[in-house]
Amino acid sequence: MKQASPNDMMEMLRRYDTWVFDCDGTLWRGQALIEGVADALQLLRDLGKKVLFVTNNSTKSRKAFKVKFDQLQLPVDQAEIYSSSHSAAAYLQSIGFKKKAYVCGERGIMEELAAAGIAAVGGPDDNDRRLEGRPVEIDPEIGAVVCGADPGLSYFKVTYASLCLRHNPGCLFIATNTDSRGHFIEKQEWPGAGATVAAVQAVVGMEPIVTGKPSPFMLRDVCAAHATTPDRMIMVGDRLDTDIAWGHATGMATLLVLTGITGRDDLAAEWGRPGFQRPDYVMASFGDLMGISAAARAAA
Amino acid sequence: MVPVKAAAGGQGTRRATLEDKMKLIDGVDCFIFDCDGVIWRGDSVIEGVPETLDMLRALGKKLVFVTNNSTKSRKGYLGKFTSLGLNINAEEIYSSSYAAAAYLDSIKFDRSKKVYVIGETGILEELDLKGIKYLGGPGDGQKVVNLKPGEYMEHDEDVAAVIVGFDRYINYYKIQYATLCIRENPGCMFIATNRDAVTHLTDAQEWAGNGSMVGAIVGSTKREPHVVGKPSGFMLQNIAEQFNLKPEQICMVGDRLDTDILFGQNGGLTTCLVLSGVTTEEQLLSPSNEVHPDLYMSQLSDLLAAKQTLKVTA
Repeated sequence: MKQASPNDMMEMLRRYDTWVFDCDGTLWRGQALIEGVADALQLLRDLGKKVLFVTNNSTKSRKAFKVKFDQLQLPVDQAEIYSSSHSAAAYLQSIGFKKKAYVCGERGIMEELAAAGIAAVGGPDDNDRRLEGRPVEIDPEIGAVVCGADPGLSYFKVTYASLCLRHNPGCLFIATNTDSRGHFIEKQEWPGAGATVAAVQAVVGMEPIVTGKPSPFMLRDVCAAHATTPDRMIMVGDRLDTDIAWGHATGMATLLVLTGITGRDDLAAEWGRPGFQRPDYVMASFGDLMGISAAARAAA
Repeated sequence: MVPVKAAAGGQGTRRATLEDKMKLIDGVDCFIFDCDGVIWRGDSVIEGVPETLDMLRALGKKLVFVTNNSTKSRKGYLGKFTSLGLNINAEEIYSSSYAAAAYLDSIKFDRSKKVYVIGETGILEELDLKGIKYLGGPGDGQKVVNLKPGEYMEHDEDVAAVIVGFDRYINYYKIQYATLCIRENPGCMFIATNRDAVTHLTDAQEWAGNGSMVGAIVGSTKREPHVVGKPSGFMLQNIAEQFNLKPEQICMVGDRLDTDILFGQNGGLTTCLVLSGVTTEEQLLSPSNEVHPDLYMSQLSDLLAAKQTLKVTA
């Protein structure tokens, strides 16, 4: 369980030309950038590395996430950002989906669906809708239910979503991700897409198609768009059950950082467990890469 | 004395003969009834039920009416029974709202602690009757969440149990509050009144059931709840203890194989299916059905056939 040595860091730079970053807990916490991260990202870019950002946060579109990067003064191209809201829309696009999608989630999912040319209904617009004492009419054009983190979750939305899934033939059950909690705000975690998905799943008894980490779909989408393959990629993140599991599921190398959800003690507790999927490398913070900055530039 | 179970034993089920009915009534001291499909259908009482209940009472049998609905208290449900012309007492109703309070009572819940309730007034009323303090309930249905920077939810550290019942006012605030209690208060219990997938608030359409509220909390905490309503065993154990009876002396009468009958069998009860609800004789006798009640009959009032022979003066 040793932390990455300078040699390890040089090795990472040699072997991997595409670096994929989780955001919350890896690059920033709430509105605060983690120390050294901005410089380390710049180092990668200067060394000619491809840099991509993958977040399971479904509440914002990739366009809205770029605004956050801009506020934190991190240079980024919108095409380098993958939110789970985007992955849900990308999935539907990839299967030639032409119907309507009912959303149990935030504005970000609605925006990504619209950007993909898919008609989105529900979402925050349904937050104040209530069931009355008679059957509710289901739009027969709804061919998919998309669930993400939903601060506006309600009995109406869960029921309406479940009725679409049970009564519209072939209606797809899509989950942006199944994380139980998320750091949507700095000081505290709040219920994630996992809560929304579990509420609907309890009614319909169907397994959802998960489009975000750790599903392989999101990686195929990323690789296709950026002409790369998993063997050249390293995933940097703070969560064992999404970031590191995703690496193991898809063939990317993995670097666990301890600036977010997983602390030193959590890792120590898991390390010896049979079946535990170990990260290839561990660093206290991604910013620590700056320790080899001079050597890396000299070697380039 | 277990004549009914021994007679049916291991060879599947059979339609109750007169002799079966008499042995059933003779050997069973307590009848537990599911309500929908057994006592009533929607808003109409099923033919012959009032006379059958009167007969069983006259013979000294204990009667219990079980419902997984948690929105009303036992007293709150009494109104439905009396409006259908059924004479029963609130204490004969076993709602899942009552089950939650009875469970906490049975484990000697520390009365200096509190319960956080996701659910409607039924649970709150039953907790009041057991002298248990609570937070949450319908009042939290008005609370809207804004995930702004600097936002932070405090929670009461004295909450030692979260009860999740059916809640038409479920929202993100309640999910977070319950999650914080479960994750951060050491030893905090997670109790569910039941996990039914759907509910029949309208006859024509199935809406999300209690399982969805429970699902949201399971999804957010990654913890499984202790279920106190059907099909968990607590309800049956509690009833058996209350009346000081052995399981075989109790008969579960229901219309659903996978909830009522299986529920009764798992508790060691004698079981009787009635065909006045959702299950047809064809489904019951189908080779693919693996749940075999000890006996079955068309409807509860079939028991009245035994009245003359037992010389009941009701």
